[in-house]
Amino acid sequence: MPLTPMEIYKLLPKTNCKKCGEQTCMSFAFKLINREKKLEDCKPLFEEKKYEIQLKKLQEMLKPLEKATETGLIVNEALCNGCGNCIVVCPVHVEKDPRGAGVGKGPTIADPIYRIENGKLIVLNMHACRRYGKSRILCVVCRENCPTDAISFLEG
Amino acid sequence: MICTACSCLCDDVFIEDGKVLNACKRGFEHISKFKENRAIPRVRGGTVDVDKAIDEALELLKSSKKPAIYGLDTSTVEAQRLAIKIARKLGCFIDDNSSFCLGDFVEMILRKEVPTTTLDDVRDYAYVIIYWGANVYQSLPRHMSKYTYYPRGAKRNRGYDEDRYLVVVDVRKSDIAKLAKKNAKFIKVERDLELVESFIMAAEGKAPKHIEVVEILREMKKSELNVLFGGLGLKYGLGDTKILAEMINKVNSYAPLAFLPAGFHSNMRGFNETLFEDVGFVNKFSFAENRSDQRFAFTELLKEEAIDCAVIVGTDPVASLPFDISRKLAKIKTIVIDPKDTVTAKLADVVIPSAYSGIESGGTMVRSDGVRVKLEPLEKAEIDDVYILKRILEGL
Repeated sequence: MPLTPMEIYKLLPKTNCKKCGEQTCMSFAFKLINREKKLEDCKPLFEEKKYEIQLKKLQEMLKPLEKATETGLIVNEALCNGCGNCIVVCPVHVEKDPRGAGVGKGPTIADPIYRIENGKLIVLNMHACRRYGKSRILCVVCRENCPTDAISFLEG
Repeated sequence: MICTACSCLCDDVFIEDGKVLNACKRGFEHISKFKENRAIPRVRGGTVDVDKAIDEALELLKSSKKPAIYGLDTSTVEAQRLAIKIARKLGCFIDDNSSFCLGDFVEMILRKEVPTTTLDDVRDYAYVIIYWGANVYQSLPRHMSKYTYYPRGAKRNRGYDEDRYLVVVDVRKSDIAKLAKKNAKFIKVERDLELVESFIMAAEGKAPKHIEVVEILREMKKSELNVLFGGLGLKYGLGDTKILAEMINKVNSYAPLAFLPAGFHSNMRGFNETLFEDVGFVNKFSFAENRSDQRFAFTELLKEEAIDCAVIVGTDPVASLPFDISRKLAKIKTIVIDPKDTVTAKLADVVIPSAYSGIESGGTMVRSDGVRVKLEPLEKAEIDDVYILKRILEGL
C-alpha cells in the first residue's frame, strides 16, 4: 500500500505543538515522507505515554522508508525477473544511451540509473533519475512497465 | 557472450568482476550455475571413463533393432547435423521437443505458408505487436524489452506508448497482459478458434464476434509491418495450424501481418531447420520409412513401445514428460548425452557427460526468428556434443 502523508498524519498527535520546528503536524507528515525530518523530531510522540500505540504503528509504517532510495524508489528483488523493461523505457537512458538501452540492449554508458546484475535489478546511479533533486518530476515509467510490481515508489 | 538459456540468444550479456551483467534471471541461473550438478560417465550405475561409456553406447546401438534419437534442442547446429547423420546410418527415428512444442509453427514458416520477419525488423519497423497464447515475461524474459515492444527502432523511435500497439491474447490476465495499457488491447479468450474466425471475418469485411478485432485491423493498416507472436497457448488452443495460416493470409490481403513463434529452447528452431534442409520435415522423422508422422513423435514411440533404445541428448524426459509416458523409458535401453546429471541420466544405462553449448563449447545456434548466431563460449571443453556424436558416427 502506498504511503501517504494523510495516513501518517492520522497517527501523529495532531496538536500542532511546533516542537519539531514545523507549523503543523500535516507539514511534518509531508517532510517525514520526503525524509527531511525524522520521526524522532516529534518529541511528544516519544515522551507521552498515551501515544505509545500510535508510535509503534508509525514506526512499522515508516519501515520501507529506510529501504527506499532518495527518490522514494523501492526495488523488491524477490519479484524481479530481470526482464529489463524498466531499463529500456527509462527516458533518461534513452536520452543518454540511444544506441544502448534506447534500442533494447543492456546499458552501455558508465553510470546508468539501473542495471541488471546477476539477473536482478540494481539501482546504480539515482542522481540521474528525473525524480531526483529540487526540480524533480514524479516520473513512474519504470514502475508502470514492471509486470510483477517489483518496482514501487513511496508515494504510490 | 551469447546467452543460450532461451531462444532469444541475447548478445549483450557479459561478465565483469564476477557479476553477470544484462542477463535476465533465467540467463543468470544458466550462466552462473553451469558447474553444479555435472554428469559423470556411467555404465549401468558404475562410474567409468568417457571412452568406455562411448564404446558401451555403440554396443547398445549396434544391438538395437529400433533405436531413436531424441532431444538436441540445446545442442549446436553442428551437433544436430551429426545426429541426423547417425539417424540416417541407423535408419532410425529422430525427434526433438518441438513435436509437442512449437514445431508446427516453425514448419509453417519454413514451408513459406505464411509471411515471416526477423526480430531486428520487428524492433525497427513493427507497429502492431500481437502476443497470442504466450506469456513471454516468464518464457523469454527479455523478448519485449530487447526486440519487440519497448526498444526504439529505426522507424519506431518515439517509444512504446506512441509508436507501438500491443495486443495480448490469453485465457487469463498474464504478466504481459498487465502491460497492455495505453494504445494497447488485452483480449481474454475462451476459445482461440472464435478469435481466429473473427480475424478472418473482419478481413473479409463482415462483422466479427470479437468486435475489438476491427480496431486492431484498422491499426494494422497504418504500418508496413505488424507481427503476430504465437505461443503454446495458441498451438494447443487451436490444435491445427491450417486455420491459423488461413487467418494470417486473409489478414494479409487487408493489412500486412508477419508471423513468428514465441517460446522454446535455445536451438529448437535450429533442429527444425537442420532437419528440414536435409529431409524436408521439421521433426518426428523416421529414416526407415523416410517420412514424418505423428506416430513417430518420441512421446508416441514410447507410448506405443515402438522402440528398444533411445539416445537422449540434452533433455530430461523423466522430469518433463508425463509419468505415464516417461515410465516406459525403464523398459528400453537409454543413452544420455548431457552436461547435467538430470533425473533421466540417473536412471540411464549409459551416461556420457557433455559440455554446455554457448558456455563451454562453440558453434552456431538459430534464434527463434531464424537468424543464425555464432556462439562465444567462455571456455573450451574437449568433450562436447560434437565430439561425442562424431565418435559414435565413426564407430557405427
